[in-house]
Amino acid sequence: MSDRQPLFRTINLTKLYSDGNVTALVDANLEIPQGQFVAIMGPSGSGKSTLLNLLGALDRPSSGEVFFQGHSLSKMRDLDQFRACQLGFVFQSFYLLPTLTAAENVQVPMFEAGLRAAERVRRATELLELVGLSHRAGHLPRQLSVGERQRVAIARALANRPPVLLADEPTGNLDSQNTAQVLALFEELHRRQQLTIILVTHSSEVAERAERIIRLRDGRVIADGGGQPG
Amino acid sequence: MHFGTLIVKNLLRRPVRSLLTATGVALAVGAVIALLGMARGFEDSLLQVLQGHGVDIVVTRAGKTDRMTSVLDQRWERLIANIDGVERVAGALMDVVDFRDANLIGVFIQGWPTDSFLLAQLPLRSGRPLRPDDRQCVLLGSKLAEILQKTTGDMVEIEMQPFRVVGVYESYNLYENRSAIMPLEEFQRLMDRQGQVMAFHVMVHQAHHKSSLVEAVCRRIESLTDEHGRRLPLEARPAYDYVKSTLQIRQVQAMAWVTSVIAMVIGAVGMLNTMIMSVFERTHEIGILRAIGWRKGRIVRMILGESLLLCLVGATLGAIVAVAGVYWLSTLPAVAGLIQGQISPVVIGQGYAIAVLVGLAGGLYPAWRGARLSPTEAIRHE
Repeated sequence: MSDRQPLFRTINLTKLYSDGNVTALVDANLEIPQGQFVAIMGPSGSGKSTLLNLLGALDRPSSGEVFFQGHSLSKMRDLDQFRACQLGFVFQSFYLLPTLTAAENVQVPMFEAGLRAAERVRRATELLELVGLSHRAGHLPRQLSVGERQRVAIARALANRPPVLLADEPTGNLDSQNTAQVLALFEELHRRQQLTIILVTHSSEVAERAERIIRLRDGRVIADGGGQPG
Repeated sequence: MHFGTLIVKNLLRRPVRSLLTATGVALAVGAVIALLGMARGFEDSLLQVLQGHGVDIVVTRAGKTDRMTSVLDQRWERLIANIDGVERVAGALMDVVDFRDANLIGVFIQGWPTDSFLLAQLPLRSGRPLRPDDRQCVLLGSKLAEILQKTTGDMVEIEMQPFRVVGVYESYNLYENRSAIMPLEEFQRLMDRQGQVMAFHVMVHQAHHKSSLVEAVCRRIESLTDEHGRRLPLEARPAYDYVKSTLQIRQVQAMAWVTSVIAMVIGAVGMLNTMIMSVFERTHEIGILRAIGWRKGRIVRMILGESLLLCLVGATLGAIVAVAGVYWLSTLPAVAGLIQGQISPVVIGQGYAIAVLVGLAGGLYPAWRGARLSPTEAIRHE
């Protein structure tokens, strides 16, 4: 595999939703190299979450292809394993399991990585420390602030040390202070761990923190570039 | 965190619903254990009675579904005694009577020859054995004597005739202790069945391969003929087979199974309802688990694990209630001696096996539904 191989490459990626004959994404041709911090931006219904779902193998394209490190996702046999080990997901509404503590929530993806229980606990402790929440490890989600919940969700996304973080409106439910904290965390992860971050947002303020901004409208890529220098 | 911790915490999320579902399973499994336990206790006791007296083979009238209606000519005893391999034979007559004054129904009265090997194995607690010249005399089992408040020397009325209690025996077997024994001739006279017996109890010679000998003797008995060369209407079965094929036992077991199946279906439907509700409520969550890489198999294991755990908790509660309930029933005077107080571990094991089946039946469909949820649709679900 060449070093110049992009991490993600999409060719004529198109997604149609049959239920309403809606064209969510049309002929998206993109390359995302390893270690890039990318923001996908656009108004509601522009296709940004659809693009993220296709990159994350949560959905199948109607036509076109997604390649990860040169491998077609449509030909990949075990997409569950791919999502478990290569990708970390962060959602707008956190989606932590309400009956599990912060540390236990972080361990949930690790079941698919085949780690021993003691190793799961050790790694969860490390990750909570990384997101500055080691002192909240034993707390349930309802005992945490929304900002803390999102940081636990980020720790969970990093559970299996994936090379890519896919974040769908990760600051959508946060106030400005927590938004700043979460973005600072993304920047630190990107800088220190060379993590590839693909972040969906409708906020230009958030998008501008990325190295590259892909703008979508009506399912089409209308601009690609800008953002902060890497 | 272990995977099991997640399963337990999922169940504790809705503690009342989980408890109610486990209670439903407990009732189903408890009914199964109690009914099957009583049926099996009945069967084991009957076998114990025969084996305790050294009976290897029971001969009844061929073609009779209900052995209580079996009628055999007492003279055939001699023919059986002459068969090669037979050690002892004893004709026996049995009937069931009520002692209405003591509010006691279904008491077995047995008529045995006074020189029978059956009587030799009967330990007396008080009084004396039956004698050939005894008239209007009876031996009472210790439990029956206790319920009737009679002892040696007292009079007891059977079928509206007075009998003197000449002894009280203490068998290790519950049913036998709740029965009475009188000389065969006396019982034949009382029941107006002179010259008739209900069954022949046969003891075979001691042998290395006793089961083969028993089978061979059975075949020889069934091929006996009268003086005209016609086959006698005899059915000979090893004691175990005889007990297994007894109509009353088969009826009790059939009723126990029918009731148990109904209880199991109700338990499974309750479990299905609970787990479908649970999966529906957690659609979002399951979508997230799929998104972060959980395989379908792990989702299935989680939901089935919850269902099975609920069933095992229910089974444990049910087993405790069944064991305590049957013990309590066995102490009631009206049924004392009819129900054994102990339940066999095999029956409790059957109860747990049924709980697992209920768990699988109630959990498989919700687990399948949960596993086939598309991550994106599940996340979008409101």
